[in-house]
Amino acid sequence: MLAVRQAFQRKTGIVVQTAKNMKEYHEELKEALDNAYLRETLDKFAVAYKANRAAIFADLNERELIRDIAKAKDAALPNLDALFDRFAREASRRGVHVHRAATAADANAILCRIARENGCRKIIKSKSMTAEEIRVNRALEEQGCEVVETDLGEWIIQLRHESPTHMVMPAIHLSRYQVADTFTGATGRRQDSDIEKLVRLARRELRARFAEADMGISGANFAIADTGTIGICTNEGNGRLTTTLPRVHVALAGIDKLVPGIEDALRIIRVLPRNATAQDITAYVSWLTGSAECAESRDKRKIMHVIFLDNGRSSLAKDPACKDALRCVRCGACANVCPVYRLVGGHKMGHIYIGAIGLILTYFFHGREKARNLVQNCINCGACKDVCAAGIDLPAIIQEIRARLVEEEGAPIESSLLAMVLGNRKLFHTLLRFGQWAQRPVTGGTPFIRHLPSIFMQGQGFRALPAIASRPFRDQWEDLRVRLPKEGKIKVGLFAGCAQDFIYPEQLKAALNIFAAKGCSVDFPMEQSCCGLPVQMMGERKASEKVALRNVKAFDPARYDYIVSLCASCASHMKHGYPRILREHAEMAAEVRRYAGLVRDFSSFARDVLDLNEADLRNDAERVCYHAPCHLCRGMEVTEQPRELMRFAGEYRQTPEEDVCCGFGGSYSMKFPEISARIMEKKLDGLEGSGASVLVTDCPGCVMQLRGGEEKRGNTLKVEHMAEFLERHMKK
Amino acid sequence: MATIDSAAVELFKQKAAPASTRVIELGDLDEAMDYALGVCEKKEFCELLLPGCELPLSDKGSAHCVRGTVKTMAAPGLEDRHFARLEKLGREKGFSMLRQDMRGQLAGMDVAFTLADLAIAETATCILQCYSEDLRLATMLCEVHVIALKKSQIVKSSADAMGFLQGIMEKGPMYTAFISGPSRTADIERVLTLGVHGPLELHIALVEG
Repeated sequence: MLAVRQAFQRKTGIVVQTAKNMKEYHEELKEALDNAYLRETLDKFAVAYKANRAAIFADLNERELIRDIAKAKDAALPNLDALFDRFAREASRRGVHVHRAATAADANAILCRIARENGCRKIIKSKSMTAEEIRVNRALEEQGCEVVETDLGEWIIQLRHESPTHMVMPAIHLSRYQVADTFTGATGRRQDSDIEKLVRLARRELRARFAEADMGISGANFAIADTGTIGICTNEGNGRLTTTLPRVHVALAGIDKLVPGIEDALRIIRVLPRNATAQDITAYVSWLTGSAECAESRDKRKIMHVIFLDNGRSSLAKDPACKDALRCVRCGACANVCPVYRLVGGHKMGHIYIGAIGLILTYFFHGREKARNLVQNCINCGACKDVCAAGIDLPAIIQEIRARLVEEEGAPIESSLLAMVLGNRKLFHTLLRFGQWAQRPVTGGTPFIRHLPSIFMQGQGFRALPAIASRPFRDQWEDLRVRLPKEGKIKVGLFAGCAQDFIYPEQLKAALNIFAAKGCSVDFPMEQSCCGLPVQMMGERKASEKVALRNVKAFDPARYDYIVSLCASCASHMKHGYPRILREHAEMAAEVRRYAGLVRDFSSFARDVLDLNEADLRNDAERVCYHAPCHLCRGMEVTEQPRELMRFAGEYRQTPEEDVCCGFGGSYSMKFPEISARIMEKKLDGLEGSGASVLVTDCPGCVMQLRGGEEKRGNTLKVEHMAEFLERHMKK
Repeated sequence: MATIDSAAVELFKQKAAPASTRVIELGDLDEAMDYALGVCEKKEFCELLLPGCELPLSDKGSAHCVRGTVKTMAAPGLEDRHFARLEKLGREKGFSMLRQDMRGQLAGMDVAFTLADLAIAETATCILQCYSEDLRLATMLCEVHVIALKKSQIVKSSADAMGFLQGIMEKGPMYTAFISGPSRTADIERVLTLGVHGPLELHIALVEG
């Protein structure tokens, strides 16, 4: 496989997604996972980025800024045609030639024509993702031009015939030694690996290229329609030289970069550098309004062209479920916080565009072939959505693309089967009961599956898998309910979710004891089923909607003050996912809204509604550490209550990166066990040395992953659901 | 007399440090020029970024090596009388003083002295209207860039610069530069390195008025 790709790379001069199927993709992932340097680098970066980003936004209202960007982009996107016309008019008045290219081929044709007509052969570029998108270099080289990248990172990867592994730091995957080797090859002289010397060498070598170039190609971070201005943000200043020295300048921008006014551009500048590299602003922002002075051209004015690329953007702008992707300002933050990117890097987590937005744009700009495997590689932790400069719900769009792929190409057999089974609650629950009976020979009487034949365990050996409980919660309900208050002051509808109903009923029972102690009445509607998130993640749209509707109908909103789930994933899917995935079911809109409004997670319900406090809990100073489930801290935005509750009952030991995914991700851990395992290992490594004897979390999926991992490691750290931990500490 | 927003001035000074920008408070434009001459005098010729001497460059790369030992100072955006003064003082110190034809200096120059048109405190940004190619080049080709900035030209936020920017861009062609630090990169192992394509140092000479 490696050999095939290297051959492809030699032929095409670039490394991109070449895996033809999931098997090949897994091989590529393994290669990245085995790259110790890459992992160490991305690990350090992930940790540093979060701290630096928090510091740079400290004095600003980050949420408001992001909302404003989203609002302005949303207002601009339906008007791209009008914005283009205005830009074209204003820029032409100031001496610029403006073009619009429908496809990548059209854009390259225009660019090549400009080069020919102006007799340009030596071309320099400042960084442009749009140019990467349409592979400008290859088109120009085919007509005999020499193209040199001048952004340091881009130059390095150009010399190595690679594509960027990060949108802002294209060569983040390389060490100084690799760069020194690359520069040795480029200069024909042995180069030292000292970073400062390497940078100065690049300065000198590229200065010569600037001097001889007759055309400069740049991207644009924004294009202002009101004044015909394009804006370029760079730290190195290569953008200024690229747009100043050669007699011809061509700027290439996606039409989504059009904004109405200067105010919109300033707003982007406020957020982009902060979110990209945790800087207040890039060292240089160049605003090119019309063609400025240029001593090299005949009339002493720059020959300037702006090409706006469509390449699917106009139709994307009209696609209600996915159009928000066009809000993207290309800051790269979605990769910076992605636990999967952190392990495998940009070559495996994107095609040309990288990170969560890369998975999405690959589908729209480069097609199904390239996107098919990539879009499966999202663990749905929501970290990207949380930091996105434009407030894009990236995981939701990725789920939508999965659903379209299933509709366009059909689903793999396991996905169709799951959809069929989940669509029928009785069949699903019958199968789970059958599973309890069938697993007996392999559990050895423990709560873990011990001896599953290897065919069922492919790649799953990194954690012990739990056994199905001998009696599901729903079968115990009639016995349990008699001990609960009949007419409590707060009426709870309990949503169990599959994992707790069938694997961990003890977690629900612990919660019942707490509810009873605080005088709640609880009901458990039997018609409820799986929340539907697993089929949603697999792109099984119909099954996902069917199960969601079943749950909405199962709970009579008049009878409950709250619908409480002890599973953060179920809760956030029901609260935020249901209104989205059921938007086509207009007849149910009111019920869905009411249902979503009633949904609460366990911790915030216990703390805020039940007012569970130190008077209720016995603090035995048990040392406890915490894993914040993705769908609790980001999905439900609940962060303080679990920590308060732990402090009431024990000695809470804070550990690093509590809010980073545990690697479970439901079916993700089945699809990508090699990645799930590494994310989990990192999580468990981070807990060592905390001195805690118990790890608490709020989601049965996380319990399954982390408890299974600790069991496999032979460690003694006890893993508990919050309900279990609190119930142990309740004053009787 | 223009008004000075002293809170904005303080914010500018505070925000300059993390961007590796040095801020020096001086009396007037003459003092700022004297400061720039001093910077040029103190620095060694070819000391910072103009190697070619010690690095193993390719043949093409070494084509742009500065020869000779005369320090160069460029000041393309000054009024005649200011440039005349600067030129006189610079020549006395033995510098080559440039006002135009920066394309002849692609190998580099020691110091560029320019004037800011406006500044934004919250990001320590100087705004320079650079329709002039020489102005753009001088500010990129120098090793040390000294910008003279009047305190009254500092506004607090980019929103406060809106009207000014609108005025510039609505008119004719213009190349507007936001400069908020020396040229920087972190493209190799995320190690911050200054002076990759442009100046290694940015000094802001804050003057009264």
